[in-house]
Amino acid sequence: MSSPATGTAATGAADANLPVIEVEHLTKRYSSDVLAVDDLGFQVARGEVCGLLGPNGAGKTTTLRMLVGLIRPTSGATRIFGTEIHPSSPVLARVGTMIEHAAFVPYLTGMVNLRLYWEAGGGDFGDANLDEALAIADLGTAIDRKVKTYSQGMRQRLGIARALLGRPEVLILDEPTNGLDPGEMREVRDLLRRLADRGATVLLSSHLLSEVEQVCSHAVVMDRGRLVAAGLVADLVQASTSAYFEVDDAARAEEVIRAMAGVRGVRPEQPGLSVDLDGARRSDVVAALVHAGIAVETVQSRHRLEDAFLGLLAEEG
Amino acid sequence: MLSLFGTEMSKQWRRPRTYVALGLTVAVPIIVVTALKANPPSTPRGGEGDFFFFLATRTGLFLPVAALRVMSRFLLVIVVALFAGDAIASEASWGNLRAMLVRPLGRGRLLSSKLVSAALLGLIGTALIVVTGLVVGGIAYGWHPISSIHLTTTLGPLGVGPSTLHWIFNLGIAVLYVFWSLSSVVAFAFMVSTMTDSPAGAVFAGFGIYVFSQILDGISSLGSIRYALPTHYFDAWDALFRPKGGFFRLGTGQVEGWTSDMTRGVLLPIAYVLVFLGIAWYHFRRKDVLS
Repeated sequence: MSSPATGTAATGAADANLPVIEVEHLTKRYSSDVLAVDDLGFQVARGEVCGLLGPNGAGKTTTLRMLVGLIRPTSGATRIFGTEIHPSSPVLARVGTMIEHAAFVPYLTGMVNLRLYWEAGGGDFGDANLDEALAIADLGTAIDRKVKTYSQGMRQRLGIARALLGRPEVLILDEPTNGLDPGEMREVRDLLRRLADRGATVLLSSHLLSEVEQVCSHAVVMDRGRLVAAGLVADLVQASTSAYFEVDDAARAEEVIRAMAGVRGVRPEQPGLSVDLDGARRSDVVAALVHAGIAVETVQSRHRLEDAFLGLLAEEG
Repeated sequence: MLSLFGTEMSKQWRRPRTYVALGLTVAVPIIVVTALKANPPSTPRGGEGDFFFFLATRTGLFLPVAALRVMSRFLLVIVVALFAGDAIASEASWGNLRAMLVRPLGRGRLLSSKLVSAALLGLIGTALIVVTGLVVGGIAYGWHPISSIHLTTTLGPLGVGPSTLHWIFNLGIAVLYVFWSLSSVVAFAFMVSTMTDSPAGAVFAGFGIYVFSQILDGISSLGSIRYALPTHYFDAWDALFRPKGGFFRLGTGQVEGWTSDMTRGVLLPIAYVLVFLGIAWYHFRRKDVLS
């Protein structure tokens, strides 16, 4: 997709297509020379797990902040369940959120943090989704320790637990597995899938493309504040026309491939080369390399989100 | 609002710095008594402030007045600036502010609960000075009625003072007056707290406006401008305990009581509080929460 102003990550049956999260012509300008988000648009339908992808500085966190009313858009709007989001919009009661790293009152225990967070909204702590939250946090007796003694991973798990206290219909998570070990990351991914199976809608940002590929049904790709692509992860991956070539002389091979028509880019990827094709076929590349006297050891078609992601960003220039 | 206020106070009562700050307000009257016991003043040497310490050794009823006078000019200012300046900025510095604001709590309600709890802690700190002063003063020197104090110095008798009950009532008025005199500091520190992620910066800003005002108030060339400075009537409360005609003319009868300067001292902070809190509300309800 080439620099569309608006995309959709929503597909599926008619009811499921009703957008839960809508971002329309969203723009955030911090100053005359800092445009964090530029005319962004996408939708997320009920039950989807949508990944928000982009390099550092793409505007992912700014977008998520505008979605939950922490930041006011310069123009455009964000909606959840059809309600335009402003600071403290009532609809935010249906949203569980963790923006950037999970933060707490450091001198309070994990449990007191959860309790005061819940009670601040006027709720009875007995009504909170505490059992599931504590299972997610998996802190054991450490739940009664002061948060300042927690590791980053423990805080992150407690942050996800806090987001789940209100049995949210929508989860908006910014880098939810940041700081977690591989086992914890897997648990969080499984949790997100379970929540989606129960009908929750999840929008998460991540810089881990493999994570998005494993967890998300849909993805929105951003770069420099703009929408690059949006859709099913499977479609984005299939659209990738990247290939990997392992050769006996990578430096010469790179020169040969760069000189070819129908090749968008070549990147060294030890021990071979990753090639973004734009019209040329893999067999054309092999023929050119063989013709140049370069032995080709391996040729692999790439259908990974990482390649799709890098290809999309390369298209954006 | 009540639930927010309740959770806010729960946080404050679990916070070590609350006990450190309030502990200072308890410690100073004890230190004053200890110092007076160790080195009792025989006669007042300096200005009127000295008389409070001098008289505190005659009856414990004067000790809270002396302690309040000592504290209100420096340490209490820091204590109230700490509670107010820390209110929002500390949550921002921990990153917890965004966790609170992604809920539909209402930014105005959050500010109100933070302000009320900070003000309440400041008031408690002010009252603790007087209560501690009364207790340790009474233990050290007894609670002799003011009218019974006869000074065997060349200065003559203290004169007919108010009843003990009236004296304690005046102490209550003094607590409220001193705290309200600091309301400009509270409002300014609170306003800065909504604008920064640095709690220390907001606390120092609160203390800074007090120091700035005191310095300007000391420049007599500023003339009537000084009457509009937030700290100009700061010490007017001691008229509640000052003999009519002043300490150098003891024996003239009752204390001065409520004065017109105290009335001005009550009215003056209103404008500052409205302006500072108005800016705080306007700013915070519109600010982009990035921390």
